[in-house]
Amino acid sequence: MLATKYEITYIVRPDLDNEAKQALVERFDKILTDNGAQIADSKDWSTRRFAYEIGGFNEGTYHVVNLTTDQAEALNEFDRLAKISDGILRHMIVKRDAE
Amino acid sequence: MADQRRRGGNRRRRKVDFIAANHIEYIDYKDTELLQRFISERGKILPRRVTGTSAKNQRRLTVAIKRSRIMGLLPFVAED
Repeated sequence: MLATKYEITYIVRPDLDNEAKQALVERFDKILTDNGAQIADSKDWSTRRFAYEIGGFNEGTYHVVNLTTDQAEALNEFDRLAKISDGILRHMIVKRDAE
Repeated sequence: MADQRRRGGNRRRRKVDFIAANHIEYIDYKDTELLQRFISERGKILPRRVTGTSAKNQRRLTVAIKRSRIMGLLPFVAED
């Protein structure tokens, strides 16, 4: 099967300190790579104010990961853990078809 | 038809598909500056008869705006 490109964006809680945030990003990058995904890049997009309140916060740091994978395993595992994680307010996995 | 006639009060400006005109191939839901052009002050998606977007681009735009709302980048409802 051909590898598909995906883009994951997640919002990190604004009240985490730099170290905790770094650890969280690394942890989730590792979840993806451990399940057979190739990460093209993983970086912070920006810290923005929300259009509406999310989880009691008015702003958050958006983190964008671009990856390719040929099986759903990595995405499913990411999705499961991102839902549980306290540090991630919200996440979205989007398929990026050939541009 | 109305565009070609110079005279006559009901001359309308030709609407252009902003997305096609700027060769935007992928409408990114994170590009709020672009999406902002296509929502009203209350946060509603503008119909294509107002914006002049093609049907294809309007569909892609709708998806992008809805994704953007879910991620807290655009409002579901905006108070004035």
